[in-house]
Amino acid sequence: MIEFQNVSLSFNNNHAVLNDISFKAHFYEKIAILGMSGGGKTTLLRLMLGLVRPDSGKILIDGQDIVTLSESELRDIRMKFSIVFQEGALFDSLNVRENVVFFFREYSSLSEEEIEKKARELLGKLGIEEAIDLMPEELSGGMKRRVAIARALAGCNPRMVLYDEATSGLDPLTADNICSLINDLAKGEPPERTGFIIVTHKVTDAIKVAERFIYLRSAEIAFDGDISALRNTEDPELRSFTEELHIAEKYI
Amino acid sequence: MESVFLTFKIRNKYNLLKDADSGYHMDIKGNIARLQDFYVLSVKAPMGVFRRPYYFRETVEQMDYMGTGSFFIVFLVSLFIGMALCLQISAELGNLGLKMYTGKIVGISIIREIGPVSIALVYAGRVGSGMASELGSMMLGHQVDILRVQGVDPVKKLVTPRIISSVLMLPMLTIIGDAVSLLGGYYISVFVSHQSGFFYWSQIKEIMSFENIISGIAKPFIFGYIIACISCYAGLSTKGGARGLRESTTSAVVYSMIMIILSDFILTRVLFYVLGMKV
Repeated sequence: MIEFQNVSLSFNNNHAVLNDISFKAHFYEKIAILGMSGGGKTTLLRLMLGLVRPDSGKILIDGQDIVTLSESELRDIRMKFSIVFQEGALFDSLNVRENVVFFFREYSSLSEEEIEKKARELLGKLGIEEAIDLMPEELSGGMKRRVAIARALAGCNPRMVLYDEATSGLDPLTADNICSLINDLAKGEPPERTGFIIVTHKVTDAIKVAERFIYLRSAEIAFDGDISALRNTEDPELRSFTEELHIAEKYI
Repeated sequence: MESVFLTFKIRNKYNLLKDADSGYHMDIKGNIARLQDFYVLSVKAPMGVFRRPYYFRETVEQMDYMGTGSFFIVFLVSLFIGMALCLQISAELGNLGLKMYTGKIVGISIIREIGPVSIALVYAGRVGSGMASELGSMMLGHQVDILRVQGVDPVKKLVTPRIISSVLMLPMLTIIGDAVSLLGGYYISVFVSHQSGFFYWSQIKEIMSFENIISGIAKPFIFGYIIACISCYAGLSTKGGARGLRESTTSAVVYSMIMIILSDFILTRVLFYVLGMKV
């Protein structure tokens, strides 16, 4: 269980990024965090991983407050998650194979043959096995995300995957493929399912994958509900934000 | 934003980050916090050598980048410094009728002082900026975050190999650089100043005492450590995009150079005392 209790954070010049945020989430949930650019969506993920500390409030992961933990104490908490950053955050000096097996090499005592097999298996699952010897700069945006997803899954067996703008900057077809992939990886039934939180400002992509939607506005949670609640919201700003969803549905 | 090597507990205790960058009070707190971070990094990173996992491959890669990669520029700079120094000294000594001491003065100057300092400055420019920009772009590209999320200690993975490599490579480059400078001095001494080559080398041999060699070799170990610590700290403190990267790279080189000059004086004083050399 992930629980935010009255979490506030401000950056330079006391600019509030998050203000008194509270919510609970299970690891098996499929959640989309929506909001304008710079609205604190990514910061929420970083707080969850202990990469940033809040000014006040508590962040409980399985009942343990991570705010006061040291880097080494946070290690076990972080192993419950995997994250895919916006641009993939691949290691530039390593090729696709080495990027994917990076954490196998760190933690496992598998032989080189076994590691190679695992890398091919994962890349095959994501449909990019042919890119195994390419360097990150030779990959398209969509391929980078796929490699990043493969690496996220290779490290450990995460209970939840965090996707930071996983579809932004991609053409609609590639974004659609990534959404299908995210859905495929979250197959299974709760509570065993590996859930995810996707941070995005593209409502249409969020609808494709998520079951619960959290909308951030002015550093606060303005909406938290399921798809039907999102469709029927009376909030004018949220309605304008979800306009593209209504237009898409109208055409469909 | 918080740096990766932060001692969270201590920071939370003194609430150092809470009102970051918000005026005079935070400036003092911020500077104390940065100093504390730097201290943690510079002590914790070398200790990583004694703890698993060991990053041999990364260390060898860094040694190649720092050592082999810097060879050409060190060679070039040392050669011309040696030649210019010999030219100046032999001209002045010639006026006094003491030209035969050229080798001795050039040798002492290069081995004890000019060699270690000039090579460290060149090294700070090349390797220090490289380290800071590489780690800085890893910070901005979230690669350091990925390491942290997956339970890899970024200090041990990224900083320890760099400090170890720097501490090992700078003394080696200094030995090579000193030798090249002396060769440059030899060329000027024989072919421009028309002195005996044999006499030049015998003078050099004469000053190759234990005190002089230790005095010249001890410094690069310290300089290598200082350059790597400052540059890694600057890199891992990068924030704010391309501008932030520029600032961290610049500060890595500038602070490294200042610290080299300052520590050179202190080291010289200490070595004089320890080795019993008279002023």
